[in-house]
Amino acid sequence: METLGYLGQGFGVATTPLNLFTALCGTLIGTVVGLLPGLGPINGVALLIPIAFALGLPPETSLILLAAVYLGCEYGGRISSILLNIPGEASAVMTALDGHPLARQGKGGIALSISAAGSFTGGLIATIGVTIFAPLLAKWAVAFGPAEYFVMMVFAITCLAGMAGNKPMKTAVASLIGLLLACVGIDANSGVYRFTFDALGLADGIQFVVLVLGLFSISEILVLLERTYYGQTALKTSGRMMFNAKEAMLVKWTVLRSGVVGFFMGILPGAGATMASAVAYMSEKRMATKDNRFGDGDLRGLAAPETANSAAACGSMVPMLTLGVPGSGTTAVMLGALTLYNITPGPMLFQTDPQLVWGLIASLFIANVMLVVMNIPLIRVFTKILAVPYWALVPGIAIVTAIGVYGVHATTFDLFLMIVIGVVGYILRKFDFPLSAVLLGFILGGIMEQNLRRALSISNGELSILWSSPITWGGWALVVLMLVLPMYRGWRQRRARVPANP
Amino acid sequence: MIYQRIFLTALLVVYAVLAYAATTYEAAFSYEPVGPRAFPLLLLILLAAGTVYLIIRPGQMAEENADTPLTGHVLGRLVLCVLALSLFAFFFETLGFVVSAFFFAIAMCRLYNGRWVSSVITAAVMALGFYGLFDRLLDVPLPLGVLSGLGV
Repeated sequence: METLGYLGQGFGVATTPLNLFTALCGTLIGTVVGLLPGLGPINGVALLIPIAFALGLPPETSLILLAAVYLGCEYGGRISSILLNIPGEASAVMTALDGHPLARQGKGGIALSISAAGSFTGGLIATIGVTIFAPLLAKWAVAFGPAEYFVMMVFAITCLAGMAGNKPMKTAVASLIGLLLACVGIDANSGVYRFTFDALGLADGIQFVVLVLGLFSISEILVLLERTYYGQTALKTSGRMMFNAKEAMLVKWTVLRSGVVGFFMGILPGAGATMASAVAYMSEKRMATKDNRFGDGDLRGLAAPETANSAAACGSMVPMLTLGVPGSGTTAVMLGALTLYNITPGPMLFQTDPQLVWGLIASLFIANVMLVVMNIPLIRVFTKILAVPYWALVPGIAIVTAIGVYGVHATTFDLFLMIVIGVVGYILRKFDFPLSAVLLGFILGGIMEQNLRRALSISNGELSILWSSPITWGGWALVVLMLVLPMYRGWRQRRARVPANP
Repeated sequence: MIYQRIFLTALLVVYAVLAYAATTYEAAFSYEPVGPRAFPLLLLILLAAGTVYLIIRPGQMAEENADTPLTGHVLGRLVLCVLALSLFAFFFETLGFVVSAFFFAIAMCRLYNGRWVSSVITAAVMALGFYGLFDRLLDVPLPLGVLSGLGV
């Protein structure tokens, strides 16, 4: 009941004219960014941080803006997947599998409206989940000491790698690179300059905005350059736009199940929307009865991943708000934004800044409603945006990126650093290292080292403090599980392959 | 596959340099058991182990990266793009935002197959528009550079 009271308070924050307007702008911008091929939520949120900062928005408002953009991107991503067969980002890949065949069959309108309804339901289920679970987890997490925190971070990193599917080692290396990047700069405890190589610009570390925009904006610009050759034509949406009752009944259970799956996948650090949509799609495919047409235009195959990725987007807010451990690349960016405001994310947030936390949760509800209301009638307008050519889009992105980076410190050193990071990020990406893992590592690095050193200071150097409480035992057990999981999966794959080619 | 191994080997060299640098990090006076050196060294050891594993077993590449092979033509354009970005960064303060962004935007538009006329128009609109938006409306101070004498 207490929760409901707080939630009411949150709605009070979220429905102030400024915050409502911000949520509306955020959902609009998010949808547009999401539907532009190649741009996903991380790019959208990262580009908006400097702007939100420049506008002088209060922290809760800018967090609402970023969350609305995040949700909007998950909505917008499906439009380019369905109509162009070009997923804007990884979590929309599964949507294209059944969405694009539907559009080719002339059912584009139905596909768009049913996926909008799915996204809405998924977001709603997950937001209810956030409302219930976040305060519980926060209450429990208050008992965490530095040792428990350190184990939690180790779990987050191993979970990221363990859930990464076919490339656990690359994900692990990528997140370690991120952790190492966080060490650059002056060490807060001892005053030693680490890895600065006498560069003044590195003295206070790599700036978060520089890293994010370099990794995601600059490397994306380079990737888009490769694709300028591939022409693209959007399919027309003609005929019926709205799904009917029969179609709604067909996907009803799929949507409910995928929403729950998506939420719990979203909570796991690192798993996020991509895993959620894949898991939801696969399990629905397995459960579907004989008349399924998964892969060439089954409505359930479209609804499952769309519902799940929206649910996961909301679900990933839970670890971000309660533990200060981001559940996805995008929430990692949002965490970075919070630290720019000098707000330390973690369980105390529920006590020190209730208006921020509950305002954010309430605005998730509101943004969801806005998106579904906006998406069904405005779909024709959004599809027009798909026609914007790269030559007009990319220079704009590049210039806004540069302004965002320059705005942090007003030095050109940061611009060069951003370019270097972007080029390295591009190379990493070409070799299939997930960049969002680098970012997550970077976000966790600082707090991870601090907690480790603090824990060992308490025990006067005794390592045993890291496994001295029941919470840490549980944490290490999960870490071991996450280390064994990819090995087990690899073993099972090898065993499955042996009979196929004797 | 071979490029990936070369890249990973280069990473190993970088780790070695960083590890060498890290061994010199000594706190002048310390009141905690773990100094500034331990954590980075731990990470570097783990990184080296992971990278060696990847050199031995690089694993399959995802399809999205495999189907766009880097031809010489694309590579040339990538280099040009990075060059344009670097020049933009270099002239950002000396020439000022408006002028450098104008030339940078023309270069980028051309690089992404825009036509000359539309590129110049787009670049002019962007350079002036973004300056007005960020410097005047959003209070992000941008350098005026050579235009600072105009008294605007």
